[in-house]
Amino acid sequence: MARIGVDVGGTFTDLILESGAKNDRAVFVHKVPSTTSDQSIGVVQGILELCEIGGIKPGDIDLIVHGTTIATNIVIEHAGAEVGMLTTRGYRDILHLARHKRPHNFSLQFELPWQKHPLVKRRNRIPITERVMPPDGRIEVPLAEDEVRSAAELLKTRNVDAVIVGFLFSFLNDAHEQRAKAIVQEILPDTYVNCSSEVVNVLREYERFSTAAMNGYIGPSTARYLRNLERTLSSRDITAPLRLMQSNGGIATVATGSDKPVTILMSGPAGGVIGGKWAGERAQETNLITVDIGGTSADISVIPEGRLRVKNPRDTEVNGYPVLVPMIDITTIGAGGGSIAYIDEGGAFRVGPRSAGADPGPACYARGGSLPTVTDAQVALGRLDPEHFLGGDLHIDAALATAAIKDHLCAKLDMSVLDAALGVIRVINSNMALAIRANSVARGIDPREFALMPFGGAGPLHAVALASAVAAREIIVPPAPGITAAMGLLAADMQYEFTRSTLAVLTDGDADDLARLNQNFDDLLAQARAALAADGVPDEQQRFQRLVECRYQGQGFELRAEVPDAVISVDNLQVIVDNFHAAHRADYGHSFESTPIEVITLRVVGYAPSDRLSWPDRTNSGGDVADALLYTRPTTFDNGQTLDTPRYERARLSAGQTIVGPAIIVQHNSTSLIPPGYDASVKASDNIHILEKRV
Amino acid sequence: MTVSDIDPITLQVIGGALDTIAKEMGHVLYRMSYSSIIRESQDLGAGLFDADFNTLCESDSTPMHIGSLPGYLRGIKDTLHGDWRPGDIVIHNHPYHGASHSPDIAIVAPVFFDGELVAFSANTAHHVDIGAATPGLIIDVPDVYGEGMLFKGLKLYDEGKLNRALWQFIETNTRAPGQVMGDLEAQIASAELGVRRFNEMLETYGKDTVTTACNQLMDYSETMLRRQIAAIPDGEYTAEGFLDDDGRNRGVTLPLKVTVRVKGDGVEVDLTGSADQTPTAFNVPFEGSTKVACYYAFRALLLDTYTTPEYIPQNEGSFRPIKVTAPKGSIFNPIFPVAAEARFAPIQRVVDCIIKALAPVVPNNVTAGNSASLSFGAYSGLRENGDIWVFLEVNEGSYGGRPASDGPDSIDNLLANTRNNPIEDLGMHLPLICDRYELRDDVLPAPGKFRGGIGVVKTQRFIHGGVMTHEADRHEDRPWGIHAGHAGHGGRVFRYNVDSPDEREALPAKFSGLITVSGDCIEIHTPCGGGFGDPLDRDPESVRADVLDDFSTVEQAFDAYGVVLDDALNVDEAETEARRAELKRRVA
Repeated sequence: MARIGVDVGGTFTDLILESGAKNDRAVFVHKVPSTTSDQSIGVVQGILELCEIGGIKPGDIDLIVHGTTIATNIVIEHAGAEVGMLTTRGYRDILHLARHKRPHNFSLQFELPWQKHPLVKRRNRIPITERVMPPDGRIEVPLAEDEVRSAAELLKTRNVDAVIVGFLFSFLNDAHEQRAKAIVQEILPDTYVNCSSEVVNVLREYERFSTAAMNGYIGPSTARYLRNLERTLSSRDITAPLRLMQSNGGIATVATGSDKPVTILMSGPAGGVIGGKWAGERAQETNLITVDIGGTSADISVIPEGRLRVKNPRDTEVNGYPVLVPMIDITTIGAGGGSIAYIDEGGAFRVGPRSAGADPGPACYARGGSLPTVTDAQVALGRLDPEHFLGGDLHIDAALATAAIKDHLCAKLDMSVLDAALGVIRVINSNMALAIRANSVARGIDPREFALMPFGGAGPLHAVALASAVAAREIIVPPAPGITAAMGLLAADMQYEFTRSTLAVLTDGDADDLARLNQNFDDLLAQARAALAADGVPDEQQRFQRLVECRYQGQGFELRAEVPDAVISVDNLQVIVDNFHAAHRADYGHSFESTPIEVITLRVVGYAPSDRLSWPDRTNSGGDVADALLYTRPTTFDNGQTLDTPRYERARLSAGQTIVGPAIIVQHNSTSLIPPGYDASVKASDNIHILEKRV
Repeated sequence: MTVSDIDPITLQVIGGALDTIAKEMGHVLYRMSYSSIIRESQDLGAGLFDADFNTLCESDSTPMHIGSLPGYLRGIKDTLHGDWRPGDIVIHNHPYHGASHSPDIAIVAPVFFDGELVAFSANTAHHVDIGAATPGLIIDVPDVYGEGMLFKGLKLYDEGKLNRALWQFIETNTRAPGQVMGDLEAQIASAELGVRRFNEMLETYGKDTVTTACNQLMDYSETMLRRQIAAIPDGEYTAEGFLDDDGRNRGVTLPLKVTVRVKGDGVEVDLTGSADQTPTAFNVPFEGSTKVACYYAFRALLLDTYTTPEYIPQNEGSFRPIKVTAPKGSIFNPIFPVAAEARFAPIQRVVDCIIKALAPVVPNNVTAGNSASLSFGAYSGLRENGDIWVFLEVNEGSYGGRPASDGPDSIDNLLANTRNNPIEDLGMHLPLICDRYELRDDVLPAPGKFRGGIGVVKTQRFIHGGVMTHEADRHEDRPWGIHAGHAGHGGRVFRYNVDSPDEREALPAKFSGLITVSGDCIEIHTPCGGGFGDPLDRDPESVRADVLDDFSTVEQAFDAYGVVLDDALNVDEAETEARRAELKRRVA
């Protein structure tokens, strides 16, 4: 057995290989520079090199799971396809009007992403005479097929790469959308064509059209990239199936990723959360707050009771464009190692969201950056040693870090370098802690029952301060913090989701409504079953979860409630009702037991558990901690104390050992800071647990 | 502890926490609420205030609400005289005691720490119906009593105990009890959350530190705005315009005059010279609306969040440099008991005039004339089962061209920033069907180096008939162009029946209690912004793109922009150069 996970980041492509027989697994990791113009070059090169490191032949690989930023980058760079759209006459500009709310309240010079960089230009949005009516989906005006034909001919002359069909109320009746699609395909047989109700079959025209438009916008390039990657891999004798990490944390086939690339927009960050969850499972810890700190941003996610939280579909957007697809609830804030610290005109001490990024990077990288960053502050405080930064692969210069802080902060604030550096850390930690609180306390989650799991290269440097600020119970540092996202790729399930808007007042228990719910759930289950079967998952391994997205009648925002695994009837209806009340209480602190509940959308999640990455346990060699001691250097901690602090090499630690703070644990891809008053225990799971010492 | 004892880092930490609390309060309020005007449109505000009613933080929701709550708190003092106890929840909406206008009901909870009243947690939200003379909105009523229920600092909860009589009174006196009572619950949950969070903060940092930090944060925001004002040359800057009518006396326009006096790092907005108060509801409460609009104008102009990298905390400090003057008895400072509910359209124009007045001295911060109105419709009727339905809808406007970019199209303007209601959601729930929703195509956007934004056209059809009131203005006074940009277009409203679409009746911008029958359609066109700069300086390729996108025509490209397009709609560079030279000669 040989499985490879490959995660493409902004600077590096991280790879992990798991090989060997079931009881004799070996794991190898590797890192190559990302090739931004064509990600596949770095991916293929990394895989070939990793095969050599792991001593296997490319043909021996059984599975490759890929975390990719390809779809996201198309959006960020506005480099998508030329898309045509057929839409209901009278509503040509739904994509231009959006929800008519501007992203800035106090601004006159703002830009609107959907108008400045429209997914479909107005010239390519062609109105078609047709009308489907609410609330039953009856047809008021038949589809003008001749108009569809001339629209397709016109789009043909314009050489569009993709066409979407978005008609009003298609979630009630998709006959017009489907017919129009068929006509377009006759005229444009090689063009990427989607109906809005196929991409996401839900109520709310702007969000549904926007999702379909986004799919068309990123579809052709994403499909091309994936085809090309598959071709290149097979030309190098790699015949293993290629799978993709989706935004919901499940993996899917290349076919799904090509047809519905909107599902992989958050592929990268999702891998990190799954990797954190996996490390948590090894530690037998199900309540986790994951904090993934990179160069420019920090991704925060909360996993209660071992279950990923998904974003409310009302909040799923990418770069200002709504995209109605399931995404793990991850909050990204502009706080990372490269975040720049400065004093603004009014004298306020600021850190981020501006970032020095990877290029020029922090001042200490000596690549031309002169502004002080969070990484510079860590260096000035003696927490990052030049010889161990990325295992010594990247040269850093402490004098440049100090000079940047002195010039840009001390000169303006009458502070010492150490105080200014401590200030940088305190402000950035406070920003991250507020984001954690907004995702936990504010949503009824008590961090005292959670372990904080830091990863990304810089995560474990901030972990104790963050855990203390949010009152998390302990800190669990995963085995290889810098490559957690790649590890997550080998720890994810196959997963597909299907939705359909079905409006009914649940609490009425009307027999016709219940029949409709059951019928539509059966249809969705059949779709999910077919998707898993097409993926080669045998029946007995298929698992399903049924959810209703509901609201109190009259509200505008839905919450999810789980549906018991049985035909919905007046007998088990109360279970769904109670689940909804509980969800409402959890999110808002209140529920209204006597108010009718309305179902808006049905959702079926089909999944198949897959093998989990088997990471070798850390052995208990019974040796002494001193064996792992590298040297001792002065290090300044958050309380301002500067102490002689020993450095330990993580690779030489053994299970059962406890390191008493102050201490620093170094490894190739990360550095963990253990302040005075904290103990770090090395576990057989290869996690390190950091706890405040009991007095 | 003295002011200097708070280090800049702790200050930043407390500032971030305050901002998060306000956001969280706003979030709970709109996510939990029932009426579309709150949950979708987010017509609400929420925040924390110190014991002297200074704003400590406020949610970033609808600008019209931001800065209005101190007025409510002062108004409540008129009744309560400071008789606050832990567990109290006070309801207030009186426009002559500080409220923004009567449908914006405030819910206020006191924050006690160690037995001492230290702060208030409060929010305002626009309620769909408070039992006014006409459902939802009003225009032509005799006085403030036509606005519906007025609450003047009443305890809805007294030391934690619900006043059931008051609760039932409200329930009985609104046409939409299901929505209004649910929305009040959401407001109470939001206010209680603010109390909890502020108490946690006081426990963490101690009262002295928090108080000092709050004061410093207000000073900081004040400093940031004063620096910008100081950079404007001292002087008096004026702009004028007019409103269509007062909603009763048709054809009688109402003058607007805005004078901005800049002196050092402070500024005065003087509205002397504007119309006298009207006999209808088309007046603006001074404390809760006139002042708020002026605060908004300077923040948007001088601390534009799109061009300013730093987040400036939303607090009292940004109000302090601005003094507002409006003569008693004028439309911007009415005298009891005239009604003052339909205040949005006139107050938008004050902001637009402040921008125009300052255009010569802060040219890079301004826009050409904006839609600066509000199309606010109240649709209502009876369902087949006899229940009353009421639906409030805000239609978007557009911006004027800007120094470096076109005016955004079809977007909520200035003090408004609401979210529209999905056509499909409404279609599933109301006997009202949207027949058209797209950019206006009856006029072309105003030419300029940067063109004006385009307003929207929206048609709603009554399935069974009903009643409609519409609050709007600016059919007559077109949004201005600047620096040789052309003027934009005023709004329009038509009524027709779906069975006779050619028999169209033009309606005034604002009307009250219009009775509609089955199949009646109301077609609303909102104003289009003015152009910025000389159209002859517009990039010919942008003109070509506009033609391709039907934002312009070959004829307009030739006439106004001097751009000559060939048959394939490509720019003919030589012809364009000649045409532009000729047009420039003509002007000279």
